[in-house]
Amino acid sequence: MRDINTLLAGILEVEKVYDEDGLDTFEAWDSLAVLSLMFMVDEEYGVIIGNDEIKSAKTIGDLKSIIREKLGG
Amino acid sequence: MNLKFQGKRISGILAILPEYEAHFDDEIQNYSLSSSNSMKLKKIMGYDKHRVVSDEVCVSDLCIFGLKHLFEMNLLDKDEIDALILVTQTPDYIVPPTSNIIQGTLGLKQDLLCLDINQGCAGYLVGLIEAFLLLGNNAFNKIVLLNADVLSRKVSKQDRNSYPLIGDAASITIIERDAVESEVFATLKMDGSRAEALIIPAGGMRLPATDSTAALELDGDNLRSKNHLKMDGGAVFNFMQTEVPPMINDLMNFAGISKDDIDYFLFHQPNKFMLQKLTNKIGISPVKMPSNIVENFGNSSGVSVPVNITFNLGSKLTEQSYAVCLAGFGSGLAWSSMFLRIGELNFCGIIEFGNKGDL
Repeated sequence: MRDINTLLAGILEVEKVYDEDGLDTFEAWDSLAVLSLMFMVDEEYGVIIGNDEIKSAKTIGDLKSIIREKLGG
Repeated sequence: MNLKFQGKRISGILAILPEYEAHFDDEIQNYSLSSSNSMKLKKIMGYDKHRVVSDEVCVSDLCIFGLKHLFEMNLLDKDEIDALILVTQTPDYIVPPTSNIIQGTLGLKQDLLCLDINQGCAGYLVGLIEAFLLLGNNAFNKIVLLNADVLSRKVSKQDRNSYPLIGDAASITIIERDAVESEVFATLKMDGSRAEALIIPAGGMRLPATDSTAALELDGDNLRSKNHLKMDGGAVFNFMQTEVPPMINDLMNFAGISKDDIDYFLFHQPNKFMLQKLTNKIGISPVKMPSNIVENFGNSSGVSVPVNITFNLGSKLTEQSYAVCLAGFGSGLAWSSMFLRIGELNFCGIIEFGNKGDL
């Protein structure tokens, strides 16, 4: 199972991500990245995150909390 | 809901594709995309070639062209048709039904049920279910199911969410009684609370089309008007991810079979990305699940199912028979799956419609 940071960095095509990074600051954060995230989280962790949940996230930290919450803390 | 039918079969399938082939590479300039992102989309989503009609071509033109071909080749006798079911989201008119237009143009008999059904990506399966239901009454012996859409005319050319993958197509499927007590198993579910995931906002009675609904508006990187199809890609993906794999499991349980009993999974083709994810998640071999329709012809909504069957199995189905699982999922939202044997068809192929010359 890949670490969440590694997974997010891969989708966003950068080396490292930090919790405070705003999603809008990544050039690769587009509709395809959203789909990739939904699928990879499903494949890696076996949880389904909603489109609306992703849309409500502003930062890397927000995305991580959404995923962690699904994983049961 | 789960449905079971006995003693009914598909006896022929013809797909009609517009001859004109548009290329994503030629259209990149219409989208606000860097060339590296364009290449990424092309590879992942399967954006490549797609078949589109010219602006004056309607659903009835494609269907009439295909039906005339079947009459001329003696593959279908016009007097034998008892029902003309047309599944489409892009009718010629609001009134009358397009199936009546087709009946009139072809001079079909009056003892005939013409029925338009407004369904999208699950529409081919909804149409098959309707055909099987009609065959439960002795007045019906031969059903012609038409499934056709010209959605390219309702998608903004500057909408990179939808235009690169949209395709136009029509199909004709003949359904009749079978002397053999063959069984068909189907599942069908609908959820109108998620209707806005795929919607053409204007043009109906709720919001009639006017000059103001025709104005192009920027939504993210995409320019489209309220007269155009709007797809919430994330919501549609979520829907597919949560509903389709359990639907296939339910179908297998209902039919009392396992995935290994299926020769081919012939699904609606939204885009390459979604299909490959589905293949993984359901746990089937990609060899059994073709995902090549979008890159070759585009996504023609529900019609992608018969296009998939005719393109990938084609004339093999006139000789042999296979156990297949069909599935459609999309606007409505609606999702449906079906397990049946298809084979020894009277015809199974694709013909091309030259946009103007064939009218």
